Amino acid sequence: MAQFELLARCPTTRARVSRLTLAHGTTMLPTFMPVATQAAIKGLTPQQVESLGVTLILNNTYHLNLRPGTKVLSEAGGAHKFQGWNKNLLTDSGGFQLVSLSKFTTITEEGALFESPFTGEPTMLTPEESISIQHAIGGDIIMQLDDVVPSLSPDHARVEEAMERSVRWLDRCITRHNASGKQDRQNLFAIVQGGLDLELRDRCLTQMLERKDQVAGFAIGGLSGGEEKDVFWRIISRCTEKLPEDRPRYSMGIGFAEDLLVCVALGIDMADCVFPTRTARFGVALTPHGPVNLRLAKYANDFGPIDPECPCPTCAEGTSRAMLHGTMTKETTAATAVTIHNITYQARLMGDARNAILNGTFPNYLKTFFATYFGDVGYPEWCVNALRSVGVDLLEGGEVKVVSGSGAKWE
Amino acid sequence: MSLSFSVGKSSRFGPRTGTVSLLRTGTSISINTPALMVATSRGVVPHLGRDQYKRTSALRWISVPFESFLENSPPIPTLQPGSNPLHTFLGFNPSQNLVVMTLRDPADPSETPANGNDYVSASTARGMKKITPAQWRNHVHACVPDIVVALPDIPWTSPPFSQKRITKSIERTATWLANLLAPAPHPLNILVHMAGGISEPARRAFTDSLTETLYGKEAEAVHPHKCLDDGVVGYVFDLVPLRKAMESSPDDARDNQEETVALLKASLLSARPNKLRVVNSPASPHEILRLIRDVGVDVFDAKWAQDAAQIGIALDFVFPVPSEAAKGKQRDLGHNLYRTDYAHDFSSFADSLQDCSCGACAPLAPQTVISHSAIDAHVPATSAPAPYTRAYVHHLLQTHEMSAHSLLIMHNLAVLDTFFANVRGVLERGEDLNAHVDRFATEYDETLRVMDEGRSMWKDVDFARGKGRLARERAAAED
Ligand SMILES: [Zn+2]
Ligand SMILES: [Zn+2]
Repeated sequence: MAQFELLARCPTTRARVSRLTLAHGTTMLPTFMPVATQAAIKGLTPQQVESLGVTLILNNTYHLNLRPGTKVLSEAGGAHKFQGWNKNLLTDSGGFQLVSLSKFTTITEEGALFESPFTGEPTMLTPEESISIQHAIGGDIIMQLDDVVPSLSPDHARVEEAMERSVRWLDRCITRHNASGKQDRQNLFAIVQGGLDLELRDRCLTQMLERKDQVAGFAIGGLSGGEEKDVFWRIISRCTEKLPEDRPRYSMGIGFAEDLLVCVALGIDMADCVFPTRTARFGVALTPHGPVNLRLAKYANDFGPIDPECPCPTCAEGTSRAMLHGTMTKETTAATAVTIHNITYQARLMGDARNAILNGTFPNYLKTFFATYFGDVGYPEWCVNALRSVGVDLLEGGEVKVVSGSGAKWE
Repeated sequence: MSLSFSVGKSSRFGPRTGTVSLLRTGTSISINTPALMVATSRGVVPHLGRDQYKRTSALRWISVPFESFLENSPPIPTLQPGSNPLHTFLGFNPSQNLVVMTLRDPADPSETPANGNDYVSASTARGMKKITPAQWRNHVHACVPDIVVALPDIPWTSPPFSQKRITKSIERTATWLANLLAPAPHPLNILVHMAGGISEPARRAFTDSLTETLYGKEAEAVHPHKCLDDGVVGYVFDLVPLRKAMESSPDDARDNQEETVALLKASLLSARPNKLRVVNSPASPHEILRLIRDVGVDVFDAKWAQDAAQIGIALDFVFPVPSEAAKGKQRDLGHNLYRTDYAHDFSSFADSLQDCSCGACAPLAPQTVISHSAIDAHVPATSAPAPYTRAYVHHLLQTHEMSAHSLLIMHNLAVLDTFFANVRGVLERGEDLNAHVDRFATEYDETLRVMDEGRSMWKDVDFARGKGRLARERAAAED
């Protein structure tokens, strides 16, 4: 079973630093997990990913089950060997993709019924089946199958049903997992559901905490679906308030820098998102001053790197914004170079957060981040509110504009 | 920055080995010939990252077609500050990479508007641009490549070409070379494209115009050289326009392979034998071997092997063919990894090269790993990473993951680099090249069926994504 050690706590916020030891090594938390949907991070070899200081990546079960399929993965000796990745790996349950990629998915108590993309036949993904597929993939962390409802669903009864069902499905996942004999190498995480309703979240938490001894960690699901950011952080905050100290906490589908840091301040340890890799393919590089859209004409003659302080190979090798501008969308290497940079940016953001928490300077780190990143356009109000709730006042001692809405920065 | 070429046995025609040496302040690059030259697109080796450049030992000699940069005025690389601007801009290492700057992409067969008396039509993403010899000279001096190909007048309108057009081509190419040879603060290492199209007399005439001693104003213009040929380090032959012209010619009985050899020989008959001979766009290792054996070509671009990586082919051939191997059916030069046969094949890419040292067959654990916090502790793996497998690349190709092509390009360049090293070995040991070439031709399919098949499957995956695709794949897998 996973080893989880708390190393430091921020005396002001709920942020913490911990060490998670799994079958493929140690990952320092809080961390951001890049997504390797099809057993590859877009354009990169596993050696390249490892060189960026990444120790935990995510594979998508839905995709790997379709291609190459569990037979090939088993023959290869698991997804680690198949893709040549010898660090830690997390797989999702496949449920989220089923709901978002397949139009005809219907959820029954037995599982998720969907149309097979191969044959068009009705196919059932049960909690047990999801766990078995994840066993074949061999991820160090595996996720329970949960009943996912879009976070903006107005159907309260459906949200409640999905929450209760997710608890029942967790039990079925635990039973299958414990019967497998794989608990020594693979670790099951529960997923807290309950939509945007604090009371439902509480009920879910109460029931899932009763199963704490059977799970290695907890994820917070059912968010990042377009809900108000001011609601989003309150749900995260309620969950982290109640989740046990001695289990890692994973916020699913979070990738913007400000979201990550707010979540860390609220006590989140892990997050994943396709955002940094997807946005790279559109020519957007992440920097401490906000995203830089390299396709804009103003970068055609810019011979500086994306970020002179960045240790990634793209910046360290001196790849200029001009060169990236000229090749973006025309040569795959441009997207790959920015992907390398963006993954490094996320890893650095979280690594710097770890350092700050260890040094007891995390509130200052937050203030510096927001001043550098949002100083020119104004702070998102929800970030100000969220951080105030854990004792950090971003507005203290400065005249800064505050903007409502998501406040996400773009170029 | 001076370039020299020493060639061992400098008989006019026939196989030869040599060494190209480039002296640059502080460094020198030495490349043994016959050798390969890596092709680029928009200044990058397609699918290869800068961190991978360093680990790709086949990447020494690089050809940079410049035309794509003409979409900006002035072209962006000409504005790059610092020394070695072209290397710096493109991320090539001045102490390892020899960079050749040429105007047009020699592999692009598309027709263009006619050239003029003082301009060449070049193709960019923003349409055709005219470029004059004076502009070319300025760009070259601003970019400081190691070698530059003088602007040639290659007709890219529809063949066949009249004698008048060929004559013009010869005259302009010589004049534009003279323009580049005019005295400058930094002397250039110049290659000249051998003009004359598919007419042997025209090609001989062009060479004569290079070697004839100049007088008066013409001599002053290229001082201190006595003739144009004095100012060049070698000759370039582009095979794509030759093939196009041969195909449009009415004579069906001709043998294009033999004729190519004859055309190259016509150009070299009265040229100095000790200059570099560079060929762009050979179609296969078979053609490379013939041009080494029959003409004595020194450098070939690797475009065909790079294209193979683009369409999912992992090259798998070796030269010389081991004597016990030459039995049975002709073999393909590589594996089309799109084929579902490879879905369960966990072997490395090549059977014939068990010790391939490329980044895919012998991946190295990262030498440095970025540490993001004080408690990050990188634990190096106890064993070297396993070779990438055909099954994994098959999966990457089917799922449209670009790292498939990165792995294949590293491998294909390594296979071709090994091929050239072995050709040099055969020549240095004084073995019978002819017998080896024949055995190679018997062993491996020259028609490149596997490339055609890969190309069509690549197109299927590339363009026919969408509904029903998985079902079609499943059906194909069950066939
Ligand atoms: Zn960077
Ligand atoms: Zn290889």
